[in-house]
Amino acid sequence: MPIPNGGLITETNRQYYAGTQQFYIDTAGAGKTFTSTFNTDLIFGSSDNASSQYGLNNFHLFSSADALTWTEMTPNNTKTTATSNGVVVPVGENTLTINVANVNIVAGMLIQNSAGTTTYGTVKQVLSTTTFTCTIAIQIPAATALTFKFAQPYTELGNLITVNSYLALGTYIKIQLVESAIEDNYGEYSYTRLTDVIDNFLIAYVGVGKLIKSVKRSDVIFHARRGLQEFSYDTLKSIKSTELTVPSSLSLAIPQDYVNYVRVSWVDELGVLHIIYPTNNLNQSPYYTFTQDDEGKPIQDNFDSNTEVTSQTDAAWDKTNPRNISGGFINDLNNANAVFDHSVYDGALGQRYGLEPQTSQKNGWFKIDERKGNFSFTSNLANKVIILQYVSDGNAYDLDARIPKLAEEALYSYIIYSILSVSTGIQEYIVKRFQKEKSAKLRNAKIRLSNLKLDQIVQVMRGKSKWLKF
Amino acid sequence: MAINVNTVYQTVLLILNKEQRGYMTPLEFNKIGTQTQLEIFETYFDSLNQQIRIPQTNTDYADRVVSLDEKISIFKTTGSCAYASGQFSLPAQYSGATTVSEGINATANTSVYTLTTITAAQVAAGISSVFIGADVANAVEIASSAYTLSGTTLTLATATSGAGNQAFIQIQVTPKQFYRLGVVTHQSGALPFHELQRVDKGELYHLLSSNLTKPSKSYPIYTYENNKLTVYPNDPVTGIVSGLQANYIRKPLNPLWFFTGGTTQYVYQASASQNFELHACEQTELILKILLYAGVVVKSPEIVQVAANQVALENINQQR
Repeated sequence: MPIPNGGLITETNRQYYAGTQQFYIDTAGAGKTFTSTFNTDLIFGSSDNASSQYGLNNFHLFSSADALTWTEMTPNNTKTTATSNGVVVPVGENTLTINVANVNIVAGMLIQNSAGTTTYGTVKQVLSTTTFTCTIAIQIPAATALTFKFAQPYTELGNLITVNSYLALGTYIKIQLVESAIEDNYGEYSYTRLTDVIDNFLIAYVGVGKLIKSVKRSDVIFHARRGLQEFSYDTLKSIKSTELTVPSSLSLAIPQDYVNYVRVSWVDELGVLHIIYPTNNLNQSPYYTFTQDDEGKPIQDNFDSNTEVTSQTDAAWDKTNPRNISGGFINDLNNANAVFDHSVYDGALGQRYGLEPQTSQKNGWFKIDERKGNFSFTSNLANKVIILQYVSDGNAYDLDARIPKLAEEALYSYIIYSILSVSTGIQEYIVKRFQKEKSAKLRNAKIRLSNLKLDQIVQVMRGKSKWLKF
Repeated sequence: MAINVNTVYQTVLLILNKEQRGYMTPLEFNKIGTQTQLEIFETYFDSLNQQIRIPQTNTDYADRVVSLDEKISIFKTTGSCAYASGQFSLPAQYSGATTVSEGINATANTSVYTLTTITAAQVAAGISSVFIGADVANAVEIASSAYTLSGTTLTLATATSGAGNQAFIQIQVTPKQFYRLGVVTHQSGALPFHELQRVDKGELYHLLSSNLTKPSKSYPIYTYENNKLTVYPNDPVTGIVSGLQANYIRKPLNPLWFFTGGTTQYVYQASASQNFELHACEQTELILKILLYAGVVVKSPEIVQVAANQVALENINQQR
């Protein structure tokens, strides 16, 4: 079904897969508008590819005479040329006459010399295809080769593109999203935007004759956002991860939208992840490191605040050789094949009675310094590539504010319960009913999102029947 | 849809004169008619509030909420709001100024007059009323269909004689009758409409302080004070500074039973009259209520009693 026909899909196949929307010009003219119907809202900085704002665009606009060969609409690609007649056009509002009729010259165009180095003024009004009222800042000499172009061949506001240039009959126009915008839209159908959830909730669950007769929209927004936060922590899939290199300082700033970590791993040369464990009770960065006097009291500066010194705990930890804690190993982290590379000494190392399993690993440790807001790693991880998987709260960015369709019903129930539980005049049994419903739907959502597939379980269980050989 | 002003007037006179109880002049009728129309109009909103709490039937024509909405729908309208100095004005029909007036001595066989005191901007922003009479005290309002007022040019449909009861023309421009503000929406370009939430100042500070509930372009809010809408987000660059539309209820136009002076009686002139704007189903109640006031005017307690009883009976039937 390539064309949207009233269902939830609103993009054509081409819009979704290629990020392209095409238009046909059936009436020639300038100032034509085109409405983008992508799921992705257009972002516009400038249509002048020489401008620094051009990089903000999440789309580009192309024109073509045959829909096969496309030319991007930039000031230079949409310019047109003409030669003025033998009359000098003085400074001020004056009439410019060109030798050969040119329909491509329209109001708002800059008038430049053929090299584009001098701007004489702008076209104010088109009197005919050869005469124009112009606002002239620099006198145009007689019989001069001129270039007419727009500083901005097109503009965009609210998904509405206005092409300033003249478009001939039969021209094709194409909006082309940039690659990152196309990728952001892929898989969008498995999610429902939080704005849709809020609107749907107000339509379906609020009104006369319903349990929630009226509610302020801001209350629904609050509960929907809070619900998304709660779901992000323990129900929704953790999709946030970042690849970082541990610097020689052994510290990395906590990501901007970080709420809690899921797993920290370093990446070996095969691309395999090795879990890095938290220091837990091995070490902790102190929150305060006061300077103390001889009696142990903190010392204050001239602003009456306690002064601080460098943490000795951190300094000691940074110098620590993890081998001294883990029980020793010979193969370093750089050897990805270490698991197969046994030497005679390996058999002796670490073979101690009373081995502590949580410290008997060679991947190193990390800790979170809450005061400085960063992750600290042990020295064996210096210059290593790590993957930090973490959870956010689903409210950091606009694109985050969406919920998997598998958990949409659970969010509605969460909002209903949250509103009813703080409303007056609602009987307790009704509140309880929706509390149970909320829990049941949340449980359903967790099961759905856990993505348990029977064939995968079967495959794992097959391994359980292997013969163990010694 | 409208109720013919002459039908109402003649019916009222018929009932009043049935037992030679008195007479109501057109001037009295126009004033009482205006009062009665507004009285009925105002009951719509309280009735709607009450009816909306009661379960309604799904049968055609029997749903009272739908019936009330049909009556109110006549006065529903939409307008765009202009932005200036960080605030939006109500739709352009509200001028916000006091009534301005200008008197012109009419000349014979002239239908076009130029205003000198009232400006074109005032005309564009307000409701114009034109009165014609022997002098300013005796001038009677003429219907909007009997003239056009464009810029500062008044063009009458019929040229004035310049004498008698056509010797003087009074023009008034009053603020347009904005009655109640409804839903306010915002649209930028081809993006979907977003409804704005109305909040009061106390609520506003909390909403702006909370990151979870602070207004966004998807969920904007506004405060409504002194006939101005202050919209949030209000950043001049990234906020809402255009594309605002307001749905509102306008006030009904005043009814006018216009007449030309005959030697022995008033002669009704339909082309210059203004009918009642209420829904046609209100005709009975309208007549009864006018009779109620008419009873007071002609000092007839019986008329007052009968009309009051009828009105009460109708109210009971309508579950008001």
